[in-house]
Amino acid sequence: MKILRIGPLGITTHRRTFIAGLALLAVLAGLMLVALTAGQSGYSMLDAIRASVGATSDSPADFIVGQVRAPRMLTAVLVGAMLGLSGAILQSLTRNPLASPDFIGITMGAGTGAVLTLWLIGAASLWVTAAGAVAGALITAALILALSWLRRGIVPLRLILAGIGIGFVAQATTQYLLTRMDVHDAQNALGWLVGTTTGRTWTHVSVAALCCAVLVPLVLWNARALRTMEMGEDAARALGIRVGASRGVLAVCSVLLAAAAVAVCGPIGFIALVAPALALRVTRNAGATLIPSALMGATLLLAADQVSQQMPATLQFPVGVFTAAIGAPYLLWLVWRASRGGPA
Amino acid sequence: MRRRALIAIAAAVVLLIAIALSLAIGSRVIDASTVWDAVVSFDDTDPEQLIVRELRASRTLIGLLAGAALGVAGALMQALTRNPFADPGLLGINAGASLAVVLALTTGLATSFAMQVPIAFVGAGVAALIVYAIGARGAAAGAPVRLALAGVALTALIQSLVYAVLLVDDATLEQYRLWVAGSLTGRDASDVMMLVPIVVVAIVAALIASRQLEAVALGEDAARALGVRIGLIRTVVIVIVTLLAAAATAAAGPIIFVGLAVPHVARALVGASLPWLVAVSALGGAALVLVCDVIGRVVAPPSEIGVGITTAFIGGLIFALMARRMKVVEL
Repeated sequence: MKILRIGPLGITTHRRTFIAGLALLAVLAGLMLVALTAGQSGYSMLDAIRASVGATSDSPADFIVGQVRAPRMLTAVLVGAMLGLSGAILQSLTRNPLASPDFIGITMGAGTGAVLTLWLIGAASLWVTAAGAVAGALITAALILALSWLRRGIVPLRLILAGIGIGFVAQATTQYLLTRMDVHDAQNALGWLVGTTTGRTWTHVSVAALCCAVLVPLVLWNARALRTMEMGEDAARALGIRVGASRGVLAVCSVLLAAAAVAVCGPIGFIALVAPALALRVTRNAGATLIPSALMGATLLLAADQVSQQMPATLQFPVGVFTAAIGAPYLLWLVWRASRGGPA
Repeated sequence: MRRRALIAIAAAVVLLIAIALSLAIGSRVIDASTVWDAVVSFDDTDPEQLIVRELRASRTLIGLLAGAALGVAGALMQALTRNPFADPGLLGINAGASLAVVLALTTGLATSFAMQVPIAFVGAGVAALIVYAIGARGAAAGAPVRLALAGVALTALIQSLVYAVLLVDDATLEQYRLWVAGSLTGRDASDVMMLVPIVVVAIVAALIASRQLEAVALGEDAARALGVRIGLIRTVVIVIVTLLAAAATAAAGPIIFVGLAVPHVARALVGASLPWLVAVSALGGAALVLVCDVIGRVVAPPSEIGVGITTAFIGGLIFALMARRMKVVEL
């Protein structure tokens, strides 16, 4: 049942998807408020919101909420959404629930690109590092595509395997670069390679926001094509979809979203794998659910970030440790179910 | 038969050349005659001969051990799971050994290398059982990819756990950096000597078991008809693989892809005969690790890069190219 159509974007949706999306949005909003108010210094919700938009005269609140908590929270939300969206596109294009930018080498390639720019140019500005990450991800993706391209086009499975191999090459290159850097730069790069949300500033937020502002509309523009292509290429062609062009745009968007996420927070694993799967479960849709996947990604990363912040001081890990602790068992379960002959 | 014997001899010659390179090449340029003297008529007053004898020889021994162990472990795993992507590094078995050692270090259990080795065996064994249970069952279609993905997932999980322990415990981090450097320089030669009998026995056992394992690879019914006890031989092979993978990790840290790439090249040369495959994989694995280590010594002067980095780079490329040649199966 289609109940929503927003002008030229042509988002059509089922009632269940719509309600699930609203529920996710509510959970996310609640978590965002918690992220602003929870912590050593307690502030009321109203004060916290005021401080996060800079409309306060209370200077500790302005610093703690406005310069520490708010940018960290917004970074987690934007990066989580980008990862969820990137994974949803990739899983739909390859028609494989195991495809995720962090397993097919894209994330590692982005990391290599960023470390290479750190080595060549230094930690001049986040924008330079981000450009390096994007370039690295694009080159890696092109390499993986070239390796898995045969006469009959792309075979998804071969894409995943080629990606695993290239991912290891990229990781080895990164490690090699780390040994070539001077200690200070290497320390910088290492801190970033962990995948963390701590110490993010408004610059990080603006990089993430800019990438979202460009890429998300482009993805949504092609959302109908993505969903139609899931019925098969021939059917999509018959319905007037330019399959090659749409697929190309969507694949590039997926790579760029993952690269932007890496540029801002470093490689945070498993969100891109888990978020689309959970979104499918919540919405009970058959195919790609882009917006719920993005909301789910944002919710997951923000929740993991909150958990990592609330841990006792001796157990303060970067958020990537928590996302791996949730995501890896899920992946093992997927594989286990597939090997029992269940749906992969 | 004669062709296989020739190939085995050729592999042994390549290994000898690799050993010679490993003794002769390093950040300090030492001419060939001095290296030769250090081997045949050692003079302990000559500092250059001391470098060869003390540093490079122990490093070469560690590379030999780890490479041979990983080559054989890979060949056995691929035969056992009938899966071309089986590799103890890729499947998280080496990572399991690292996690066990890190946990032992942080709880104060593993104070000496002699204590760390059995603990590494336990960790490797648990990881091997998990990944085998999850990924190695089921029909042939898609199974290779499933096993590879199960390994990637398990490795990611284990690494995040290792990382969690290291972040909490600075003292363990300091020891761990020495333990798991993916390099051949972190261990004492005398410590590593205790691994020699383990690896030798395991490789001999692998050669003996490989005939029977070959029968299992023909199919369970055929194996039973030939009088092979399938359950027993599988268990024995898993134990051997675990011993070899843990010994290699204990000696040189987690090295990936050697167990994947070497048996593939060996199979292309000697065919499917498993005993020959095991023998050539042992020689080739040792040669590959030594050559990768030599590359790591010269590629980034004045510093060196660990052999784990070089093998991951070369092995990753081989893996991606293998994926290209693989027949299409759907998951």
